[in-house]
Amino acid sequence: MRKGRILFSLFLIAVAAYAVRSAWGWTFKAGLFPLAVSIPLIVLAAAQLLLDLFGKTETATGPSVDLEFGADVPLEIARRRVTNVLLWIGGFILLVFLLGFPGAVPVFMLSYLGLQSRAGWWQSIGITVAAWGFFYIVFQRVIRMQFEAGLLQSWLGL
Amino acid sequence: MFEALIDGLFLVLQWKAFTLMLVGMGLGFMVGLLPGIGGPATLALMLPFVFKMSPAEAFAFLLGMHAVAATTGDITSVLFGVPGEGLSAAVVVDGHPMAKRGEAGRALGAALMSSLLGAVIGAVALALAIPIVRPLVLTFGSPELFMLSVLGISCITSLSGLGARGQIRGFSMGLLGLLFSTIGQERQAGSLRFDMGLMYLWDGLDLVPVLVGIFAIPEIVDLAVRGTAIAGERPPEELQHGVLEGIKDTFRHFWLVFRCSIIGVFVGIMPGAGGGVAQWMAYAHSVQSARDATDRERFGKGDIRGVLGPGAANNSKEGGELIPTVAFGVPGSGAMAILLGAFMIMGLLPGPDMLTKHLAVTYSMVWTLVIANVIAVILCLFVLNQLAKVTYINGGLIIPIVLLLVFVGSYTANGQIADLIVTFLFGLLGYFMVLLGWPRPPFVLGFVLGKLIETYLFISVSRYGFSWLAHPIVILLIMLTALVIAYPFIQEYRQRARGPVHVREPQSNDA
Repeated sequence: MRKGRILFSLFLIAVAAYAVRSAWGWTFKAGLFPLAVSIPLIVLAAAQLLLDLFGKTETATGPSVDLEFGADVPLEIARRRVTNVLLWIGGFILLVFLLGFPGAVPVFMLSYLGLQSRAGWWQSIGITVAAWGFFYIVFQRVIRMQFEAGLLQSWLGL
Repeated sequence: MFEALIDGLFLVLQWKAFTLMLVGMGLGFMVGLLPGIGGPATLALMLPFVFKMSPAEAFAFLLGMHAVAATTGDITSVLFGVPGEGLSAAVVVDGHPMAKRGEAGRALGAALMSSLLGAVIGAVALALAIPIVRPLVLTFGSPELFMLSVLGISCITSLSGLGARGQIRGFSMGLLGLLFSTIGQERQAGSLRFDMGLMYLWDGLDLVPVLVGIFAIPEIVDLAVRGTAIAGERPPEELQHGVLEGIKDTFRHFWLVFRCSIIGVFVGIMPGAGGGVAQWMAYAHSVQSARDATDRERFGKGDIRGVLGPGAANNSKEGGELIPTVAFGVPGSGAMAILLGAFMIMGLLPGPDMLTKHLAVTYSMVWTLVIANVIAVILCLFVLNQLAKVTYINGGLIIPIVLLLVFVGSYTANGQIADLIVTFLFGLLGYFMVLLGWPRPPFVLGFVLGKLIETYLFISVSRYGFSWLAHPIVILLIMLTALVIAYPFIQEYRQRARGPVHVREPQSNDA
C-alpha cells in the first residue's frame, strides 16, 4: 500500500509538472489558472510523498471520507479478479469499437454471463435477451440515440 | 397573492395539466434511473412537444419530469454506486456503502423522503422569495460568485480528508479536479490547452464520462473482487422495516435536512453555481455537523446523514433555480436555460410580468414541484422494497447489466467511442484513488466547478483589478472559507483538549 501511495504521489507530481511545463509558454490569460492550480498541486503532492517516505506509518482507521474496499478476499485472488474485470471492461469497449453498441451488447452479455459469471446457458440467454430488448426499446426506439457503426460493419459495408 | 396561489393549484389540478404532469413524471422516473441521461437532455428532447400546450400544462409536463428525474437519480446511486443523474453523485458516497451493508431499503427511504422534504422547502422558498430575491441576486457579481465557488470547494476538500495527511490529499484532489477542468479550449482567448493533438479534447472533458467512470467503475471492480451480491452475504434485511427506518431517519435529522435544503435553495438561486455544487456543499455540511473527528470518520462508510443532506439539497435547488429564472430570466442552470426556452415558446416574458400578470402560472410551478414530488415519493415507496432486493442478486449477474448502463450513459456525452475510453481511464483513476485513500469528492467538485471558477476569476480581475478582494461580501466569504479550512483542526484540537468522547450510534443522533 505504501508503495502504491508513493507511486500515486509521483503520478500527481508528473501530471502537475507536465501542466506547468505546458502552461509556461501560453498567454497570460490561458496560462494563469492552470499554473495557479498545478504549482500548489506539485507542492502538496511532494509533501505527501515526503510524508509517505519518511513520516510515521498512518494509524487513522480511514484516511478519507470516501468508499473503502472490502478486504475479505486474499490478496492474490483479489488481484486476479481486478485484472479479470478490467480486461472484461476493456474487452467491452473493444467490442463496441468493432461491432458498434447494438452488436456488442448481446455478445458481451452472453459471454460475460456464460464464461465469467458461470451462469447457466439458459439463464445467460434469458438475461441477454432481456438486456438487449431493454437497450433496443429504450435507447434505440424511445430515446432514438444514434450509435456509431462498428469498424467491422464499416469494413464490410453493412 | 393568496388568490393567485389557489388559482395556481387549480391550474395544475385541471385534468389535462395533471395528466401531462403524470406523463412527464413517468418519463422523468425512467430518465432518472438511466445513468448519464440527465434531466436537462430530456427537457431539451421534450421541448418541441409543448408547442400546443397552455403555459400551465407545459410547465406541469416539463417540471413534473425534471423534478422526478432529480428524485429517482438517487436510486441507482444507492443501489449500484452509479450516479443516476450527472449531478447526483454525492449520494453515492454514503448511500452505496449502506446498500453494501444490506441497508439499501433504509438508504433509499431516507434519500426519497429527504428529497421530498427538500422539494417542498424549495417550493416554499420559491413562493416566498420571489418578491424579495432581487437585491440578493444583484448583490452577487463575479467576485462574489468566484468566492462562493471557492467556499464550496473548500468545504468538501477540508472535510473529506481525515488527519493532516488526509487534508493534504483532499486539497490535492480538489486541485487535480480543477486542473482536469482546464483541458480544452480556453473561454477567454480561445487557445487550446492540454488537447494532446486530439480533437475530442477541444471541448474539454465532459462531466458524464468522468463522473460515471470515477464512481461506477471502482464499485464494479469491488463487486467483482468480493464475488458476492452487492449486499454481500448478509441475510436480507427486513426491507419494509428498512424503508420505514429511512423515513424515520429523515425526521430524526430534520434540522440537518432543513439546513441542507436551505443550502440547496441558496446555491440554486445563484445563477451558474449549478446543482452539483448544492449537493456537495450539503454533503460537506452534513460531514461538518459531525460532533467530532471520530463521528466524522463514519462518513463515506455508510452514514445516513451523508444520504439525507445531498438528497434534500438536490431537490430544494430546483425551487431555488426557478427563482432567478422566473424573476429575471436569468437561468440558474442548464435545465433552467432550457425551461427559459419553454417560456419563450409560451409567449411569456420572465420578469415583472411573471410576478404580476402571470402570478398564477408562477405559482402553478410551485405546486407542480410539490405535487410531482409527493406522488413520485409515494409511488417509489411502493416499489422500493422490490428495488432494494436487487442488492441481493449475485454480483456476477448484475455486473454486465450495470456496465451496459454505465457505458451507454457515458456514450450520451458526445456519441463517440472516446467517451468510453475516458470513462475507463477515469474509472482506473477512481479505483486507485479509493484503493490508496485519496478522496474522490474533492476531485469531482473541482472538476465541476473548474470552468466557472476560472471564468469568474477572469471577469473579476478584468473588471476590478484586485480591488474586488475588498468587496464586503467577498471578505465575508474569504473569512468563511478560512474558517471552513480551519474547522477540522479546531475540532480535533477541542476533542484532544476534552479527551476521548463516547460516540453514540449515528441512527440515534439528532443532527
